[in-house]
This record gives sequence, C-alpha cells and structure tokens, in this order.
Amino acid sequence: MAELTYREAVAAGIAQEMERDETVVFLGEDIAKAGGVFKATVGLYDKFGPDRVRDTPISEQAILGAAMGAAMTGLRPIAEIMFSDFLAVCWDIVSNQIAKSRYMTDGQVSMPLVIRTANGGGARFGAQHSQSVENWSMMIPGLKVVAPSSPADVKGLLAAAIRDPDPVMFFEQKSLYATKGEVPDGEHVEEMGKARVVRDGDDVTIVALAAMVPRAVEAADRLQAEEGISASVVDLRSLVPLDTTTIFNEVGKTGRLVTVEENPRLCGWGAEVSSIVAEERFWDLDMPILRITTPHIPLPSSEELEDIALPSVARIFETVRNEVD
Amino acid sequence: MDVLMPQLGETVAEGTLTIWHKAVGDTVENGELLFEIGTDKVEMEVPAPVSGVLTAINVEAGATVDVGAVLAVIDDGKSDAASPATTPVASAPAASNASAVSRTPTRHPSLRLSPVVRKLVVENNLDPAHIPGTGRDGRIKKSDVLAYMKGAPAVQVQTTALFEPLKPPQSTPPVAPLKSGAGRTVVPFNRIRQMTAEHMVRSKTVSPHVAQGVEVDFSSVDKVRKEKGGVWRAREGFSLTYLPFIARAVCDVIKEFPNINSHVEADNLVVYDQVNLAIAVDLNFQGLVAPVIQNASAMTAVEIARAVADLAGRARSGELTQEDHQGATYTISNNGSFGTLFTTPIINQPQVAILSADAITKRPWVVNVGGEDMMAIRPIGVLTQSFDHRAIDGAYSAAFLRRLKEIIETKDWGAALP
Repeated sequence: MAELTYREAVAAGIAQEMERDETVVFLGEDIAKAGGVFKATVGLYDKFGPDRVRDTPISEQAILGAAMGAAMTGLRPIAEIMFSDFLAVCWDIVSNQIAKSRYMTDGQVSMPLVIRTANGGGARFGAQHSQSVENWSMMIPGLKVVAPSSPADVKGLLAAAIRDPDPVMFFEQKSLYATKGEVPDGEHVEEMGKARVVRDGDDVTIVALAAMVPRAVEAADRLQAEEGISASVVDLRSLVPLDTTTIFNEVGKTGRLVTVEENPRLCGWGAEVSSIVAEERFWDLDMPILRITTPHIPLPSSEELEDIALPSVARIFETVRNEVD
Repeated sequence: MDVLMPQLGETVAEGTLTIWHKAVGDTVENGELLFEIGTDKVEMEVPAPVSGVLTAINVEAGATVDVGAVLAVIDDGKSDAASPATTPVASAPAASNASAVSRTPTRHPSLRLSPVVRKLVVENNLDPAHIPGTGRDGRIKKSDVLAYMKGAPAVQVQTTALFEPLKPPQSTPPVAPLKSGAGRTVVPFNRIRQMTAEHMVRSKTVSPHVAQGVEVDFSSVDKVRKEKGGVWRAREGFSLTYLPFIARAVCDVIKEFPNINSHVEADNLVVYDQVNLAIAVDLNFQGLVAPVIQNASAMTAVEIARAVADLAGRARSGELTQEDHQGATYTISNNGSFGTLFTTPIINQPQVAILSADAITKRPWVVNVGGEDMMAIRPIGVLTQSFDHRAIDGAYSAAFLRRLKEIIETKDWGAALP
C-alpha cells in the first residue's frame, strides 16, 4: 500500500490503464504539459507523449466531440471537462449523442469513453464553478455515474470506468483533491455499482457520496461519542448503477435512512434513493426518510455563506440527533 | 420443482400465504427463507426445498390456498419447470413488481405506527396498546417492539400452537388499554397465553372432565435409576427421570385399552393405532407447549427418554417445528419436580384423556412379605388421569390406571435399559 492524495490517484489510475491498453488516450484543457489545473494529471504527458495525452483548445464541445469520434473508431478516450459546471455547454453531445448511440445503432456502436470532471463546492469558486451536478447525469439513460470518496476508489473506479464498454461520467470532488489515503499497490480495479458500508451502525443509516462521505463518517463518530447513536454510513460510490441491495440491507437493519447530498435539493440523487426505499422497503422504515442537502440556491462565493450552504459535519450531526428518537 | 402449500396440521386444510421473501427470477438456496404462511393456528416460515431459480409464483401474498396447492416453481436444473401447472395465474404481477407485492400487513386502526412497527405488530400478533413507547411523544419504535417481545420470550416461539383454537381469533373492538401503576402491573397476554386461555375454556366447556388418581410404587423404576442413572447421565448428557418409564408404560397399557388413545370428532370416537405422545413443557413460567413424540408406541424407554430431552430442549430454545406439534393422541403432564401430590389436568382437545405425573416421595407403605403385612419405605407417586366422560366411562379409565400401575410396578425395567 502506498499513501496517495486523491489527485495523485487520478494520474495513477490513468497511467495504469494507459500502460495496460494502448488504445487509451487522454485529452482536455491544460491536462498535458500543465498537468491539469488541479494538478491531477501531472506526469502523464512526460510518460505517454503528445499523441496519447493531448491539450485541446478551450472548447468543451470540441473535446467531447473528438472523444466521441475516437470512441466510435476504436480508441478508449478519457476526456476531461475542467469544471463539471461546463458540462452544460456540451449537454447535447453528452445526453443526445454519447448516451444514446449504443441504443440507436442497435448495439453496432459502443461508446467506451470516460468523462472526468472536477465537481462540487468548498473552494470559493462561486456559482459557476462550484456546483455538484452528479444528479444531472444520473437522470439520463445511457450514462453511468461514478463519484469516488477516497484515493483508492479514484484509482480503482477510474480503471473500471476506462475498461467499461459504455460512457461513464466520472466526478472527482474538488474539495477532496488534497486528501490522502492508502491505495493498493500494483494493478487496482474496483467494480462499479457496488456501494460500501464504511461505518457499521445499528440505529440509523446515513447514505452519502464523494465529499459527503468523510463528513458523514465524522458526524457518525460524534453521534456515537456524544449521543450514543450508532450510525452506519454507506458510500454509494456510483449513482448508476445504484447498489440498492446494500442500501436495503442497511435500512432493513436500522429502519432509518438519512441521505447526505452536495447537489441542490430539488431532484438531487437522495430524492431518488428515498423514493426507491419508500417504494420497496416501506415496511422496514421506523422513521420518515431525511434528506440533508445543499439548498436550492446558486452557491455563494463568500466563505461563510458557502460553508453554511453545503452540508457540514455539524449539520449532519444535529439533524440526525434531532430526528432520531 | 413445484413448491407446495405444506400440511400445517392434521385438521388444517388451508392457509394464507402472507409474505413472499423471493421474487420471480431470484436465485434461492435450499433452506433459505422463501415465504411465510399463517393459519388460525400458527404462523410459519417456509424455506426453499431445493436450490435453483424461482421461475414462477402462482399465488399472490394474501391469498388463502388449500394444502398441496402449487405455490411456486423452482427450476433446480433437474425437473421440467415449464409444465402447464406452473404457468403464473393471470393476476400475478409482472416479475419486476413481485418483490413489492408481498409486504402489505393490515393497518392497525388506532395508533400512529411506523411501517416497520406496524409490520412487527401484525406479524407477531401483538397489541400495540400494550407496548411501551420510548420515542418522541411516546412513539413506539422498532426497538421498543423488539424489547417488548424479548421481555415475553414465549411470543418468539415460532410455532406457538399448544392447541387449535375452535375459530380464528376475533378482532376485538379497541378498548382503553389498562395501565400499570398505583401498585399494580398490567401484563398483557402474549400469544401463547391467549391461545392457552382460549383452549382451556373450550376444553372445559366441551368435555365433561373426570379425574381419577392411582398411587403407584416406583421401587422397580427407582432401582434401575439408581443402578444406571450415573452411567446414563455421563453417556447421554441429561438425567434419567421417571417420565420415560411412565410414558413407555402408558404405551403398553394403551394396547390393552385403545379407546384412551383417541379423538372425539362429531359424535365419533376416532381410535388411533399409533400413540403420538404429547409432553407438556413449561417455558420457564412464560407459557406452556405440548410437543409430540411421534409414534412413541414404537419406541423403547431409552428412545422415549431421548425424545423427551430433545423436545423439551427445543421447546425452551424456541426451535420447535410445526411437525413437533402435530397429531398428538394422548398427553402426559409432569409436575413432579414441584412436589405436588396430584394435579387434575385439562384435556388437550380433541384427545379424550390426559395423565398428570406428580411428586414421587418416600412414604411408609404396607407390603406383604411371605404372607405377612409389613411396613416398608417406598417411593410412591400419584398418577392422575382426567378423561372425557362423553367418550369414556369411569370403569374403563380406572381399569386403565390399574393396569398402568401394575406395569410400572412389575415390569423388568432393567432389561429395558442398556
């Protein structure tokens, strides 16, 4: 095991797959010589050269159009969209072209591409560079949606995404880039669509994703220490496929479900999880389902206001403490 | 392979399928929980009979079906799963909905309960009015129900039926719950208590009970217990009691007095060849069950002893199965350990007689040695039989008891034990 940062794990995952498979190519804005604006792709250009690691003009449509064409003609491209907010300018190509091609060609054209993007708030980047938009992708049939919470998962799930024959949206949470964690040595591949119970508990199940996972775990530790409330924490890891089995198992055990989402409240992924649990595990519930989310607002640039808007350890702790009787 | 509605008891012809735990398309393991059924007598979890894939569900949750009906089909890779009988009924939901079909317990009328509490209350036949709620505003939480059930362990015995109720339990109109306090504690009847109460009243109502007792000298049994009890305990892991000797003797006497081993059914006495012997077992003052030694008449005293130990152990650990409750033809109740002189037991319907064995104590006893009466010290106990005077008369029962006494006192019990 080696300790890597979340950002180092990105480069490690890409390098692992580029070494293994020469059809894997990587393109995006400032990802090559500059090593990425978040320094998540440092070293790849030197190692794999300009043919396989390409800087592009500032055009998200061009990046994804090129990636789509490459994927249709035998390569396995990884495309970086610098900020996930910018997915909006390429939404036609993502939602109408990339996501639909396998279906509309009756399987003749597959789309083995990964769209990596820096997602989420906490870096004081303001309303246009801080959004958590994983729920945008979740609602489009044809896309897989992954959002890792740890360096090990970054590497392992990125490898799985690159190997997948269909398009995968890979959301790296900006606020996690500097975090560190153990990453297995050698080839490391995780399975997409498996949630992980990162903390065992009996009284309440907290389901979280990406940057909300460490916050949920910290809140759960406080709940145990200060309130004697035993919370299990589930890291979803991917929204599509969604591991309902693990969610149902945990809810079956505790009877209480709390979701913690960084995306804005309306139509956030927690609404979908809540709906599924309410429909399929109603008779296991011992308390109304709770959603802890960012409010339905553009994210403020102000440090104080952004910290209030995003779900915090204190908010998770207080909400669960107040509602779990 | 077809999954059939199991036989739930001799007198039960149908049951309600309450919950499917698997949906069409699911892989099931042999022994894995497949569905639950309920009757007026018992609630029961039924495991999958084979491993395979559940390919059809023919009966929706909530439906009442006859014993032997084909409920589902499991493709175990061997049998032909596509036989016509296995076609899903038209009203069965699509496979994708099957998992959502099952879990619809009936609503409790008066209290606001969470879904899981509602389900637990229905499944365990609890009255939520009796469950103390520790949540906000006295809300009953799942943990409260579990604690309540734990506090009354008898409720958790899966197959609670000591006796069959005459009719399904009636839903009573809601009444103000009794409250503990002011020097009194309200202990609600749990399921075993309710069924026991119902049965006892009914048995006393339908059967004119007559009790007869006979004093028995247990010297010959005692001799064997003294000689072999230590070895027995070391070998078998439990004590050699008087009960298996009495049970064996009862089976012997029934051969001569077969009408004792019978049921009353609609002005008929139905006499059985085989003795299925129910043994009343107290659940640490939390209730009473009477599991059955099937075909005790074919067993030796040793085999009966082992069967009694097995049933009593499983009764106390809540591991009795439906089979353990079926088909009793005669019952023995054993109160001896508490030192009682005699007990007049209530008949386990629809049987016609029940025997109580009470304390066996050393007493001065007149014996005849060489033509002379003498005082001796002998272990003496009273065996009391209650019989149904509709079915049997006093002379028949008395003759039965006289012969029972004779066999216990004179049989070569040493030869019966290894």
